[in-house]
Amino acid sequence: MSRNTAERISERLSRRDFLAAAGGSAALAAFLAACGRGGSSNSAGDFTRKLNLYTWAEYDDPDLIASWGDLNITIFNSNEEAIQKLVSAGGVSGFDIVVPTGPYIPQMVAEGLLEEIDLARIPNFGNLDAPYIDQVFDPGNKYSVCKNWGTTGWVYDTEVVTTDIQTWADFIKVAQTEASGQVSVIDTPPNLCGIYFWANGIDWNTESAADLDACEKFLVDDLAQHIKAFDSYPGINLTQGNYVLSQVWNGDARQGLISVEDAGDDPTRYKWAVGAPQTELWMDNWCIAKGASNLDAAYDFINFILDPVNSLTDVQFHGFNTGLKGIEESAVDMPYKEMVFFTGEVVDRMRSQTLNSSQDRLVDIYNKTRAKAGA
Amino acid sequence: MLHSLPSWFWYAVFFVVPVAFVVVASFGSKVPGSAGRVDFSKPSLGRYREALDQTLLTVLLQTMRTSIIGTALCLLISLPVAYYLATKVSESRRGILLAVLIIPFFTNFLIRTMAWRIVLAPHGLISNLLIDWGLRDSGLMLLDTRFALQIGIVYNYLPLMIFPLFVALDRLDPALREASKDLGANRWRTFVQVTFPLAMPGIVAGLVLVFVPLSGDYITAAILGGAKGNMAGALVAAQFLQAQNPALGAAVAVLLIGAILAVLGAFALIGKLAIAALRRNRSVSMVHV
Repeated sequence: MSRNTAERISERLSRRDFLAAAGGSAALAAFLAACGRGGSSNSAGDFTRKLNLYTWAEYDDPDLIASWGDLNITIFNSNEEAIQKLVSAGGVSGFDIVVPTGPYIPQMVAEGLLEEIDLARIPNFGNLDAPYIDQVFDPGNKYSVCKNWGTTGWVYDTEVVTTDIQTWADFIKVAQTEASGQVSVIDTPPNLCGIYFWANGIDWNTESAADLDACEKFLVDDLAQHIKAFDSYPGINLTQGNYVLSQVWNGDARQGLISVEDAGDDPTRYKWAVGAPQTELWMDNWCIAKGASNLDAAYDFINFILDPVNSLTDVQFHGFNTGLKGIEESAVDMPYKEMVFFTGEVVDRMRSQTLNSSQDRLVDIYNKTRAKAGA
Repeated sequence: MLHSLPSWFWYAVFFVVPVAFVVVASFGSKVPGSAGRVDFSKPSLGRYREALDQTLLTVLLQTMRTSIIGTALCLLISLPVAYYLATKVSESRRGILLAVLIIPFFTNFLIRTMAWRIVLAPHGLISNLLIDWGLRDSGLMLLDTRFALQIGIVYNYLPLMIFPLFVALDRLDPALREASKDLGANRWRTFVQVTFPLAMPGIVAGLVLVFVPLSGDYITAAILGGAKGNMAGALVAAQFLQAQNPALGAAVAVLLIGAILAVLGAFALIGKLAIAALRRNRSVSMVHV
């Protein structure tokens, strides 16, 4: 990725400027040097490579994980769900590593759900590019290390949809006409409401009652009746031909296109684009759960996954940028690379979420939209 | 009394206490910005006022429609199956057939339900077969419809209806049916006036066993019904898992429990009236025979 892009991401994620730590060529050199050290870290200390990981679906390359050790994965569907479970377990959840999205980390720290991270025990932390460290939600990376970041857009079947969808306004128009009744949207309140806010150039973190009311009116009156499903992972449905138009995260769309190809069908039939004029930017993070019983293994695993070779393997699986120095340059042969790495202009459209007073109202709008769609 | 203590203990710990927690939480309020903590400093009915709106009413009606249709379908399919199992099948084969009914349930219910997506998808098993046979040009749009969600419901809940029905019918003394025949009743009449009324306890048990969990289930319906599979349980889940508002989620849950009890009560009443009417009717017809 170009320096320019990286800086823009940093701006978007943290809303403040970073000093570029190194030039692009230096980053590449560092990357290659790291590659030269060899793949996985083999320094097995005085612990067994066994971990309980609490994370999102289809988010880690199974073969890569197996090459590290024994990872027992439990899936959650929302940050709130993960937090709820950790809170009710009161430090004895049994999970070692949890993977929350940035804006939720301050709350988790305040609730005492996370262990402080000793960065000295993660030598590969230095492989992360400047824009992905020291975020506003966790200054100094005291509790979190970037896993990867992603964005939201759409994928559609060009055999049914003839319109070239370039903006969220186009998405809405097609959803109401050509794709009506065959549309899926991501099953979270902020993403659902985002469709309206992003289309109309409104900050999706708005707390204004008028904005939220207008969003409700639009979703309930003008969009709900066209929605077929609330599905956070529509990618797999591409092979099943179930949706004509889907709101989708970039990595999931990429996994979908790859599975279409694997099934022997023509992936060029489906078209993907990043949302415009605005869209989402999120960053998920490796965190160590309070009371983790396998601390040594947790550090070892995070260090392992931040190794450039391992990270590249992982990116090829999940299709999200892991933010390592030189990762884009090293991913030359990667299929659907353009769905993972974006130009500066595209990154400029992306906005991160903040947790604020509108949380309940967004859920209210989401419930009303679902009620209307279920009629 | 004494030997029933363990079951009382079981109910207290695993039923009464959790429900009490939910009821208590519903009088609290959300601590803004917290990870779903509940503030009990000013207990109020505020959450119920928030919960009782048009959305809840709409979703409750959607839930009841889905649950009542699903329960009725289960009953319609289970009656002949259970009757056949209890009266027509030899003892030795019965065990095998009952096992066949229960074996799919050793699989996780999510996997079982997701499997139907593969079967019903436009590029899935059924559609592909129809296209291969030249019966259709393109895939069927079965998935994420009310039809698909009822398939999922019937598939997941059928055994809960078949087993109590089977037990009730199996306990029936065959001599009663023979007596009915001896007294001149034909097969249909024997079924309607002897077998069916005597199987009533099993039918009621089956109806309750299917209807109650089904009304609270929001997973089966959502997986196969898509947007049409919206259930009240999803409203509760949204408050816990999206809004971090357990107080409001608890209030919605209490209202959902109330709605389920109300519908059960209404059906019990209708059932009683129907049986009373049937009895009157029968006594008249008996005289005619």
